[in-house]
Amino acid sequence: MANNLTYVQLSSCVNPSFWNKLTELKLNVDKLDEASRNIWGYFTNLNKDCVNSILEVDSTSYNENFNDQKLYIPFHGKILNKNTIEQFKECNKTDLINLEGKTLLESIKNGEVIKDPSLLNVFSILCFADLKKYHYYYWFSFPVLKDVIIEKGEEIFLSNKFTTENIYKLYNDFSALTANQKSYFIVEYASDELKLHKLEDKLNYITFENHTQYYFAFYNISSNNIPGSQLRNYVALILHYCPFLEEETQNFIAFILSREGSKVTCKDSTVFELKLPKADHGQNWVGWEKNERDKMGPKLANMKNTLDPNKLADDAVDLNLKLMKWRIMPNIDLEIVKNSKCLLLGSGTLGCSVARTLLAWGVRIITFVDNSTVSFSNPVRQSLFTFQDSVDMKPKSKAAADNLKKIFPGVIATGHQLNIPMPGHSVGESMLEQVRENVKKLDNLIEENDIIFLLMDSRESRWLPTLLGSHHNKIVINAALGFDTYLVMRHGTFNENLTETHSTCPEGFRTISGNRLGCYFCNDITAPGNSMKDRTLDQQCTVTRPGVSQIAGALAVELAVSVLQHSQRNSAPAFYQITNKAAELGCEIENQCVLGLIPHTVRGFLSSFNQVLPATEKFKQCVACSTTVVEEYRKNGFEFLLQVFNSSKFLEDLTGLSEMFKETECVDVWDLSDDEDE
Amino acid sequence: MDSNQTLTIDEFNLSIENIIKISNDILDGWTLHVNKENDNGKYITKKSTISIEEPGKGNPITLTYEHHVVFSLSYSVPMICFNVWKADGSVLSMEEYLNINQNFDDSNMYNTITQLDHPVLCRPFLTLHPCKTQEIIEPFLSTSKNPVISWLTVVSSYVHLKILEEYIKHC
Ligand SMILES: [Zn+2]
Repeated sequence: MANNLTYVQLSSCVNPSFWNKLTELKLNVDKLDEASRNIWGYFTNLNKDCVNSILEVDSTSYNENFNDQKLYIPFHGKILNKNTIEQFKECNKTDLINLEGKTLLESIKNGEVIKDPSLLNVFSILCFADLKKYHYYYWFSFPVLKDVIIEKGEEIFLSNKFTTENIYKLYNDFSALTANQKSYFIVEYASDELKLHKLEDKLNYITFENHTQYYFAFYNISSNNIPGSQLRNYVALILHYCPFLEEETQNFIAFILSREGSKVTCKDSTVFELKLPKADHGQNWVGWEKNERDKMGPKLANMKNTLDPNKLADDAVDLNLKLMKWRIMPNIDLEIVKNSKCLLLGSGTLGCSVARTLLAWGVRIITFVDNSTVSFSNPVRQSLFTFQDSVDMKPKSKAAADNLKKIFPGVIATGHQLNIPMPGHSVGESMLEQVRENVKKLDNLIEENDIIFLLMDSRESRWLPTLLGSHHNKIVINAALGFDTYLVMRHGTFNENLTETHSTCPEGFRTISGNRLGCYFCNDITAPGNSMKDRTLDQQCTVTRPGVSQIAGALAVELAVSVLQHSQRNSAPAFYQITNKAAELGCEIENQCVLGLIPHTVRGFLSSFNQVLPATEKFKQCVACSTTVVEEYRKNGFEFLLQVFNSSKFLEDLTGLSEMFKETECVDVWDLSDDEDE
Repeated sequence: MDSNQTLTIDEFNLSIENIIKISNDILDGWTLHVNKENDNGKYITKKSTISIEEPGKGNPITLTYEHHVVFSLSYSVPMICFNVWKADGSVLSMEEYLNINQNFDDSNMYNTITQLDHPVLCRPFLTLHPCKTQEIIEPFLSTSKNPVISWLTVVSSYVHLKILEEYIKHC
């Protein structure tokens, strides 16, 4: 009962390092050259637990010499890397594989294959690499002769035909072969003994009379008793040198390695009786690999995640945060942090440290605003600048954005050189349009962003952003520094209705709802004026302890992230201790959000290494966030602002502060400077 | 006996050289790499290929594992780092890997498998979290001839690594 032999096809298995090396060669060596390149494929059937017979390629495939690691047999390959996707598509696949086949036939005829039998095992890769996207289109072929009909006779396991001793000896002889001799060899059975011969040593001695004592052995690519398709190339070789075997029955060994415990054995190899066809060295070759949809067509490897350093950095940053979520805080909302657009008004020590902490939290959109250039004193304190930036006198906002992208290319960072108009800084006729423009730009920036950080170096420059933050109802985080003190706070939400919303509050604490929380100016009852002229007390302090800005910058971001975790965002209430009773009672408010407390204000004192968390109510005559001021801006817009810029007294009159001043003698001014180190 | 005994880098190097020797005898595929710029530059790697069913889709896919056994100077323990890729070369992310892995239930997989930088290659790899390793390896330090093998036999099943019995004879 004769059946025609069926075959197993190889499957390609590309290691990531193969694409890595291809990219390197394309960029540095080949450039626009399309010449094909010789490569090695690796095959073994050990250490595999898979249904396919796989041929591996990796970075060492491009080496001159094959490194068998005592484990692999070589496949001789060629890679043809096309310059464009069109050339890749237009390439004639039939011509290509027939050309490969022709070369193989020649090496059979000229005897090269006899010396190096591994030459019967060939493959080629047609490829196009889109290096911008890290997309690799590729198509493997494993050329074998078409239309070779072989009839299968008896098949039997090696272990059922020969003694254990013989099989053991055969494996030892096999192990001693060089890698390229392992692919195809001859086994002789004579006087109850198995002997292994190299093709070049024995092929010429096989005759019609003695051929039954010989077995043509091949290292089979399949472990399940079906020969690999490369057998057809072997048969072409055999019939060329032993034409007397045409239409004769001949013994073959499909040689495979397997494990018996830890030890390697060849006992699971199969002996086949095969009836060979007539020699017909046709010109038609087949062997293009099917793709994952089981169609004849190329495959696409998307290696962006593996090879694009930008993507690697992007994923690594996110993964670091996800580990925090997975391992410590399953309920933290990282997406809301990542998707928050942050506006940093001021790009000095605070701006730099806020930006870096935002980056660490995975924030991707960061916009800097500043009006100065990098000076020589800046780089040591302001963590985003270098000496060269000061030599180049780069604008701070731009230098900060550029350097942030150098640290992490995944961030969308932009810088705007912008003077923020200030109360009491009169606007001359010539500057009017510029100031109008700046106000409009700032208004747009605040509207576009989700979190506004006030990190400037003067008190009065915070006024307009505070007002605009209230007007657009954004999360506003304010940080200011003294010599060894810092203030970090969140502004309350703007809402005409100031009624207290009820929230439960543990003993020893009081609560202020988010719509009643104050802003930076609520605590101070003079309008911000020109500090150079009017206010000498808390604005002239120009030095801070170097660590203060790092602490305050980090706290500003952590406060913002906590606000984002609360369902009410900036409307989240704030708690504060009314007596020491809370501490005595051991009462703590820990779970206001998943990260813990969301204070209104953090005030720190470095001299005592102490920190307190007061909360203050909105001042109804506040010059920046009161209903009167916001409504006035909503009604009169720039005209109103202009009046304030020209005279900060206007604000005091508007809010009734002037009236109040008459009543109050003593003005308690905060001992805090807004200045940084300039 | 010293209760806070740790594996020295010399013991580690001897252990992995021993693994290479055994592997060469039985064609197990471990390869030694030496990076001269690092004190802990010696490490070994092995590739193995499996077929699994793609979750949700049911069709078989071929996955290649590349395991690295490398010494972590910061933990003074051996680390097992690995990457897994599909037949086209694309490497599985940690989430994709955990998604197809059957060995972990939801509650502890993130505590067992993590992603860390390879101590020599400085590239992200999947790994077993090294903070438990000292606990596992400590008893072997005085009793095993090859503590690295002893440790591998304990942890290998978590990372799809097969340790043949031949190795166990050597520890
Ligand atoms: Zn206010």
